[in-house]
Amino acid sequence: MKTLVKLEITRSLRNKKFMFFSVIYPPVLYVIIAGRDVPGNMPGLRVDMKLYYMVAMAAFGAMTAVLMGNSERIAKEREAGWVRQLRLTALPGRGYVTAKIASAATVSLPSILLVLLTGALVMGVRLQAWQWAAVALCSWAGSFVFAALGVALGYLATGDAVRPITMLCYFGLAFMGGLWLPLSTLPGWAQDIGEWLPTYAYTGLGRAVEVGEAPHPGDAALLLCYLLLFAGAAAWLYRKDTRTA
Amino acid sequence: MTSTHATAPAVEFLSAGKTYGSVRALDGLEVALHPGETVALLGPNGAGKSTTLDLLLGLRAPDPGGRVRLFGKTPRQAVTDGRVGAMLQSGGLMDGVRVRELVALACDLHPRGHPVERVLLDAGITELADRMVGKLSGGQEQRVRFALAIAGDSDLIVLDEPTTGMDVTARRSFWSAMRDQAAGGRTVLFATHYLEEADEVADRVLVLHRGRLLADGSAAEIKAMAGVRRVGFTLEMVPDGVLEAQLRALPGVAELQLAGAAVRLRSTDADATVHALYTLGVYPHGLEVTGLGLEEAFVTLTSRAEAARVSPSQNHGRKAAAQ
Repeated sequence: MKTLVKLEITRSLRNKKFMFFSVIYPPVLYVIIAGRDVPGNMPGLRVDMKLYYMVAMAAFGAMTAVLMGNSERIAKEREAGWVRQLRLTALPGRGYVTAKIASAATVSLPSILLVLLTGALVMGVRLQAWQWAAVALCSWAGSFVFAALGVALGYLATGDAVRPITMLCYFGLAFMGGLWLPLSTLPGWAQDIGEWLPTYAYTGLGRAVEVGEAPHPGDAALLLCYLLLFAGAAAWLYRKDTRTA
Repeated sequence: MTSTHATAPAVEFLSAGKTYGSVRALDGLEVALHPGETVALLGPNGAGKSTTLDLLLGLRAPDPGGRVRLFGKTPRQAVTDGRVGAMLQSGGLMDGVRVRELVALACDLHPRGHPVERVLLDAGITELADRMVGKLSGGQEQRVRFALAIAGDSDLIVLDEPTTGMDVTARRSFWSAMRDQAAGGRTVLFATHYLEEADEVADRVLVLHRGRLLADGSAAEIKAMAGVRRVGFTLEMVPDGVLEAQLRALPGVAELQLAGAAVRLRSTDADATVHALYTLGVYPHGLEVTGLGLEEAFVTLTSRAEAARVSPSQNHGRKAAAQ
């Protein structure tokens, strides 16, 4: 199983095109959204806009890389029949999911670090050392949840359906979870749903750190539940997959 | 069926069927393969070969009531125990990795994995080891798939159309590698549409047709079962229409081919055909009566089964005769 994890990470690193765009676009988006020279707090929050979007874009970028990367590649691998071949080995379902999460994490870490670096060097965000470390770690660890969701989606959908379904999950989760705009700007019913989404808990970790608090255990617990749910579903779907003939 | 084997069969299908929607892909398959046998699985497209292999490997579950057992266990258990190595036609390879890395992965995942270099050598792909998987030719890919199937000390090796895309030389060295595997006491099951391969390599041939087991025996038995032989001779002159009709009406004649004065017949009763031939008052030169190749036997059996679908009772009689 260790060999598979290593091999999946090697493959991710070799896929230079995917790596480049996944890593480069979150900081670019960050500069475009928050780069205007209007210092000030987010509406309704006591957080600076540049800081708010740094955390949000780190999360958003990591989520993009792992969710898109995993679901599409897995759907492709299923079509090519590699997953069938892999199912003829003693590899347990959780081994497969672990390897896929690990390879996704290889892509999301540099993307997160680059956003933070942009925040510090270009946007002039100032945080304490522990806050930098905490934001990086929370963004990275939280991305595992979406990597697992990516694996599950790669199994739920086939062929042409993968991209639209992934996009739907992706934009829905990002928007409703407050990655683009604070949740308080959404209508009440959307806020009620949004608070229970993994994206909300994901950015919640960073939001707590932003204002100098420790991440809330509630957010961490909710994310852990989602991780177990998605990873469990992914492992189950991997074992049950019979569609690709 | 009386078995002299004390151990559990390597493979056992117990009234295993599989229906997709309204299509009965496999219809109550009952067959057992014994340790050490090399078995060829033949059948026209759509006969149920792929379904059979999928059920065998646990990639699909049989319909309720049917069971598949490998060494007395479920297919999944047997795979997890490392008792089965398989090469699928539909099995893709991981891209973005080198051949050696992929083979190393297979060795690592196998509970009784062999050293990587040995597997590369056994599969004859040592010289491909540093190539990227995505850059291989079809035949080379097949050999890499074979390497994945023999990456560990499995007791059963399952190969689906293993030599597709290989040239003659590659095919020969492939079967020589296969024979080494079989000589090690392993059970080998392969599906192929190259019938000469089945003829040369297999101890036992299974013929599937429309989801049913049409024949089960050695290649020689299958040929005998087809019951058809070829009769060839040359006449002293090109036969006219009357003589041609007479030749066609000889007992047992299933097919007549004329090339000038040369006559080729396929007969279900060659003895009677030849006997009656002389009563026509002709003098056949160079008379030859030969058995069919496995390929022709296979075609005869399957097309006969196709014809018998109209009257299924005949089909059953045929099947009983086979066993």
